[in-house]
Amino acid sequence: MKKLMTIATFAAFVFLLTLAPATASETEKVFKFYCAQCHGLTGKGDGPNVTKDFPVSPRNFTNAAEMNKLSDADLKNVILDGGPSVSKSPMMPPWGKTLTAEQVDGLIRHLRTLCQCEGKQG
Amino acid sequence: MKHMLTAVLSAAFLAAAASPGSAAGGDVFEAKGCVACHYTDGPAREKTIDDQLAKKGPELWYAGSKFQKDWLAGWLADPKPIRPMKFNSLTEENPGDHPKLDGADVAAVTDFLMTLTTDEVEAGKVKPKKNPKGRQIFIKKMPCSGCHQYVGRKKKISGGRSGPSLVEAGLRLNPDWILAYLQKPKVFKPVKMMPVFTGLLSDKDMTNVARHVASFKPKK
Repeated sequence: MKKLMTIATFAAFVFLLTLAPATASETEKVFKFYCAQCHGLTGKGDGPNVTKDFPVSPRNFTNAAEMNKLSDADLKNVILDGGPSVSKSPMMPPWGKTLTAEQVDGLIRHLRTLCQCEGKQG
Repeated sequence: MKHMLTAVLSAAFLAAAASPGSAAGGDVFEAKGCVACHYTDGPAREKTIDDQLAKKGPELWYAGSKFQKDWLAGWLADPKPIRPMKFNSLTEENPGDHPKLDGADVAAVTDFLMTLTTDEVEAGKVKPKKNPKGRQIFIKKMPCSGCHQYVGRKKKISGGRSGPSLVEAGLRLNPDWILAYLQKPKVFKPVKMMPVFTGLLSDKDMTNVARHVASFKPKK
């Protein structure tokens, strides 16, 4: 019985290991498809829409100092409801009708990976 | 019996004469290899981002409801890039290498594509006209101009580069299709880089935007 439990635990562990990278790569795909248009493929705020005429500078997600000023709740708000919801530019679209809740949560984790920061707590 | 045969033959002749180019156009479309990049049988197939990224060119199963015939014929004969970026790419510029068609093929393929219509586009809903409310939404309230080029002040081309250019979109697009595209995001392109605006913009505001975009024509 103990042996069976060990095998089951190991199998579950292996399963979770295979699951985690898939989720991360799915999130990266979502980021590159929707967000990179303005924020760039590596999140530096340099997507193809950002010409010299672009009215604002899209957030550079690798800037830890700036990203640390925002909580995960702030990020969620701006992703769901767009720039104006946090008094920023309407060039940041409201993605609430486009993305699923899981995709939004994944994106927030992805942004924290890009900035290597935890953000404002609370 | 003779009368009946004559009537049947006449009907068959009339049916064939009604769209002389469309059947031949379908053959040309296939023979020229257009099917390698464009699918022409709806409904939309894409369910995931991977599905969308696997496509080499836009779907054309609703081309007859989307495009204006004169523009389409002109474009097939002399295709100029509509998208600043290569299809499905954020890093490569559009190389502008879409194949051209010659005289008779242009007419045949245009006729064929114009037969590809959908009931999802309701005719007569949008009258192209300058529309200050639509303009406000397009450049200020919503981020349309962040991804789509348009002619701004002093005839300067402004706007982002990830979406298809809307410069002279009034010559290219059926105004009613623009509205349907906004109102029914899952029908035409279920997975796309453009945000869904249903529930964010009212039908009236979507109509305003469609009227505004449909008014994008060269200044006389």
